[in-house]
Amino acid sequence: MTVRTLLPETSIPGIVGHPWSAKADKIQSVTGILLGCFLLAHLHFESSILLGKEAFYQVVQILEGGMFSETGHGFPVVTKVFSVFILIVVMLHAAVALRRFPAQLGQWRALRRHMNGINHKDSHAWFWQLVTGFILFFLAPVHIFTMITNPEIGPHLSAERVYHANAWLLYALLLPAVVVHAMIGLYRVAVKWGLTANRRGLRKIIKVLIIYLIVIGSLSLISYLIIGSDLTLPIQPFVPE
Amino acid sequence: MSQGRTLTFNIFRYDPQEPDDKPKMVKYQIEETPGMTVFIALNMLRELQDTSLQFDFVCRAGICGSCAMVINGFPTLACRTLTSKYPKGEITLMPLPGFELIGDLSVNTGKFMRELAERLKLWLQPNADDVDVHRLEAPMDPEEAAKLYELERCVECGVCVSACATKQMRDSFVGAVGMMKIARFELDSRDERTVEDFYHVIGNQDGVFGCMTLLGCQDNCPKDLPHMQQIAYLRRKMAVALV
Repeated sequence: MTVRTLLPETSIPGIVGHPWSAKADKIQSVTGILLGCFLLAHLHFESSILLGKEAFYQVVQILEGGMFSETGHGFPVVTKVFSVFILIVVMLHAAVALRRFPAQLGQWRALRRHMNGINHKDSHAWFWQLVTGFILFFLAPVHIFTMITNPEIGPHLSAERVYHANAWLLYALLLPAVVVHAMIGLYRVAVKWGLTANRRGLRKIIKVLIIYLIVIGSLSLISYLIIGSDLTLPIQPFVPE
Repeated sequence: MSQGRTLTFNIFRYDPQEPDDKPKMVKYQIEETPGMTVFIALNMLRELQDTSLQFDFVCRAGICGSCAMVINGFPTLACRTLTSKYPKGEITLMPLPGFELIGDLSVNTGKFMRELAERLKLWLQPNADDVDVHRLEAPMDPEEAAKLYELERCVECGVCVSACATKQMRDSFVGAVGMMKIARFELDSRDERTVEDFYHVIGNQDGVFGCMTLLGCQDNCPKDLPHMQQIAYLRRKMAVALV
């Protein structure tokens, strides 16, 4: 039987899709956790510029698989391949997360009415996750495609992208949107599957993480702008002495 | 002590039966008394100031679930809400959203709950060998009885429905009250329905996989029922069984 119809489900063609409800929910959670954890690592790696050009250079060489080359230099193609992988995960996540969007005007009105009438923090947090999720549809692919087509990363190469190619604008919008979306998402996935009952503690951790990640992200963005403004075109890649 | 304060009530007034009536907020003032609840204040207002004021109540002790309404943005029971909770002495009362409005603060939760029960078949369907009324009923394991009792505490007040943005956006979503009751019959050894039968009812977008874990149910339930753990448990169980 189905909730909506009271008809035996075998009599309704195409409705015997319950396992896909379960699969969609699991795919959303698993891809969300994957992307959230990736974001945590990603923001720390790129913020290594705050420790100096040399530190960032070394991080890039390690992540690009520099230990497998004779010269110690990494392969930018690693970034390319990984970016394609992340793009696929993002697409999967977006496809199943679309189920949650208030796609009809009536649903949107119901949501706004609910938020105006009922004082509930977790519902408001979800609203911001919804808004940032929508923004990410347009910002995340731009960033990922850049990394697929121009995967060169380095203290000078990244600064060139940020300062001379004006990517700072994209990053300034992307950073708060992705951090808010991912951290609230990690909180929700933990309580959703009953991984923890300590919501109060988890909420504190999430709030601290949101502020911390936006701060290190913004500071490193400023660093790249400063480095970029000191460079003249054409850019010479940074080589440690 | 808050004794002797003057409380200001902003109350939603609208009678759908009156053709010319329009929804409006009406202000009332009343002297606070010790231990006053919103329910007591409403009764005094109706007795002393406005006999046309509509609101529901039966038990005045948090057992019947009739007096649920939105008090300063929080859906809860009027009889369990002390006016001393509000230091400013200003209290706004709205009817529970998501239900048919009878008038002012009175909504038809009964109709909703009956429809839900009929949709989900929320009554005991005895085992086939248990229909002989002359046979002695097998005693229930005390642990099972305790678990059932915990879920039976639901008073069908409708707060979880009003507090749930998912339910407000998607009418066919069963909401916390539906899932709580399904869980209750799933636990009951006297019920012949198997786990499979319940999966068909709530193992979909209208059930546990439609829930977005906004937790309005958990945070507002006046009976402190464990909605969060209960829904997470059902979700885990079905996610494993359905793949």
